Amino acid sequence: MFILVSLTYFAFMIRFERHTMANGLRVIVHRDEGTPMATTNILYDAGSRDEDPAATGFAHLFEHLMFEGTPRIPVFDVPVMMSGGENNAFTNNDITNYYITLPANNLETAFWLESDRMRGLDLQDERLNNQKSVVTEEFRQRYLNQPYGDLLLLLRPLAYRVHPYRWSAIGMDISHIERADSASARHFYDRFYIPANAILSVAGNVDPDKVFTQAEKWFGDIPSGSPGNRNLPAEPEQDERRDLTVHRPVPSAHLIMAFHTGTRNSRDFYILDLLTDILAGCDSARFPSILVRKKELFSDADFYLSGEADPGLVIFSGRLKDGVDIRKAEEAVSAELDRLAASHVTTEELEKARNRYESHRLMSYMSAANKAFNLAYHEVLGDASGINTETEQYMSVTREEIADASQRTFRPQNSSVIYYLPGKR
Amino acid sequence: MKQTEIKEAPAIITPSAGDTSFPKMDKLSNSVPVCLVGNGTVDLLRIEFVFRAGQVMEDVHLAASSANAMLTEGTADHDAATINDLIDSTGAALNHIADKDAAGLVTVTLTRKLEEVMDLAREVLFSPSFPGNEFRMLTDRRIQSFLTGRQKTSVIAREAFYEALCGAGNPYGRITEESDYRSLTTADLHRFHKKHYNPGNMYITVAGREPEKALPVLEKYFGAVSSGQWEQPVIPSIHYDTAKPGLIFREIPDSVQSTVRIGWKGITRDHPEYQGLQVATMILGGYFGSRLMRNIREDKGYTYGIHAVAGAFRSLGYITLMTDVANEYREATLTEIWKEIGRLREEEVSDDEMTLVRNHLMGEIARMFDGPFSVAEAIKGIIDYDAGEDYYTRFAETVRTITPARIKELFNTYFNPDQAYEIIAGAR
Repeated sequence: MFILVSLTYFAFMIRFERHTMANGLRVIVHRDEGTPMATTNILYDAGSRDEDPAATGFAHLFEHLMFEGTPRIPVFDVPVMMSGGENNAFTNNDITNYYITLPANNLETAFWLESDRMRGLDLQDERLNNQKSVVTEEFRQRYLNQPYGDLLLLLRPLAYRVHPYRWSAIGMDISHIERADSASARHFYDRFYIPANAILSVAGNVDPDKVFTQAEKWFGDIPSGSPGNRNLPAEPEQDERRDLTVHRPVPSAHLIMAFHTGTRNSRDFYILDLLTDILAGCDSARFPSILVRKKELFSDADFYLSGEADPGLVIFSGRLKDGVDIRKAEEAVSAELDRLAASHVTTEELEKARNRYESHRLMSYMSAANKAFNLAYHEVLGDASGINTETEQYMSVTREEIADASQRTFRPQNSSVIYYLPGKR
Repeated sequence: MKQTEIKEAPAIITPSAGDTSFPKMDKLSNSVPVCLVGNGTVDLLRIEFVFRAGQVMEDVHLAASSANAMLTEGTADHDAATINDLIDSTGAALNHIADKDAAGLVTVTLTRKLEEVMDLAREVLFSPSFPGNEFRMLTDRRIQSFLTGRQKTSVIAREAFYEALCGAGNPYGRITEESDYRSLTTADLHRFHKKHYNPGNMYITVAGREPEKALPVLEKYFGAVSSGQWEQPVIPSIHYDTAKPGLIFREIPDSVQSTVRIGWKGITRDHPEYQGLQVATMILGGYFGSRLMRNIREDKGYTYGIHAVAGAFRSLGYITLMTDVANEYREATLTEIWKEIGRLREEEVSDDEMTLVRNHLMGEIARMFDGPFSVAEAIKGIIDYDAGEDYYTRFAETVRTITPARIKELFNTYFNPDQAYEIIAGAR
């Protein structure tokens, strides 16, 4: 049985070539002849965990500045559009990621653009001030002007006391963004936006040898620099349950329960990722069928891993049905979590989760852009070939491991619980 | 500056739209059209079942979306829990699609699970039982999310726009009330389903590697469902009760931003100027460097984003612009939007800007036809709106040849402030 499963999965390897340039820039290339396009993905190993606690939201604000042009290319988007491409970026707690997808015959334009903004930015006060106000509106639009929009902003400082995961990538507070200045922008750029702290990943209809040659041409003469050591404070083990109750003008109550878990590279990540699928990945999963349909306590009940590189969280998030006592709802979730340690999930549940993993994995191969990002992401975690080897990590998860990880993780003293209730703030 | 050496910028090769040809069509023995989209590289198939069963077809409000949502909540042979378990075990999901004009299901399945998934798809599409208990729970969930939507400025502004444009009694314009959910019954769903989910009213698209290999399986599960036994639905004639242009304010107390939405009647896809209007709207607010983004986001910093769209339902076209801004900027935003439209009505765009938008749109068309799943989505639009099999080939030609003079004419014809609804949803 196991051998058969392995054969199926390893038939779908993502082949890639990898080269580290003299200045430390890591280059990864995946050839996909099924598309006329190519994606250039540049991942900088810098996220909101690298921020000063008094100036949070900075990594994300800086991402905006990367689109504000340079003395040589005043409007970043113009050459991208002229070459028929699209581009965007995102910042999370760990990394900042930029991509350009364009017709493969214009790949060199993407190299020109990305090397140019790695080489030097035009950090004028006027542009910084403008992006501060854009980001302030983004903060309002996505987090403050949405019902339930601030749930995760509340969770982070409750679950983390020391580690910089205690704030979200958007920042702790709008006032931090308002205070950002160009000297800090310059410092952040010089420290992190350097070849030795970046991964360039290219996927699409390209010849790897040509990509390596072009990468050398455009990025080879950018000085390496050194990002220095990260030295982030480790989050001490939590030893008692933490509670927060807030009132917001929303129609229904919402319950969050979060538990500390391991790093992205730990065995627990794969065990719990498969478990979250068994509990909440689909309509027939345990939480939707028991907590939503059978007991009618919640109208939806999600369970997921935050998935950061440093030790992260596994989070229950559920909207309560009207009239349900939130303590009763919480007890029901706890009872389901306790049951995992006491008795194994069924082989059918595990098999279902494996089938679902296989479809999702193949689905992610449909897009060259996705492959380019995933290769870069696995490389920053330690090794790009993780894109292939992690299948084995998922497929080898056993029912015993799930019970063991549940017992270690879902303990009351390891939990942070938010009651988000309707009412005046 | 880390290094000052300047290398010459690479020459840009003018992008082309690539192959925009319409995929091969086939038919099951009962005449159900099947569209086959090939060139996949992995062993997954995306299969979509589309029925002309959208909101415009309903005689009772919410019947279309509710019937669609209830398809997987129990069948003649299986209860909801069993049917969900059977679907999920294959690794696939049957995803619901229900919009104004069409409804159905879409699934992405491992090729080796195709037969199991098609068997289940047939069961949920053609013999749903609409059990009362599941319907009650669905209604509760939908009311809760409806009430959450009441607090979103963007949702309220969107509703106000379509109501003004189409009229409160029109299926495109009707604003849903909580009582609409409460008064809907499973008998309404049975009636809607019987009338609209029938083989004479559907088509199937198959996208992936060797899609033709799915044909015998589709024939087995869908070719035998006779289209004779079903009532043929007729598209109802739609009455428009358009409001007078002007300012509409919707109060959402304590909101920290306001949604500003402007819009008016446009043209449908069969209009000869529809494609040119797409290009014009793109220049105004269809991309990151558009006139509106440069002014209102990049220059003023009023917003995180502002967008303009020229869209169309089957029988109604519209042009609309929307943005979320801080409450104190909403009047200034309206002024700037009209200023930008005024400029486009008075001055031709430069050749550089024209080329930029041309190339960008060519790249966008090429990306829409990149890979079988994307192609399947693109052609759904063509089929659902009878846009013509050569729609994207014609569009690429329009993009290639349209002139700045023509763009200016389009702004003068279709962007008239006297016809606009100006909607603000936010705090007083």
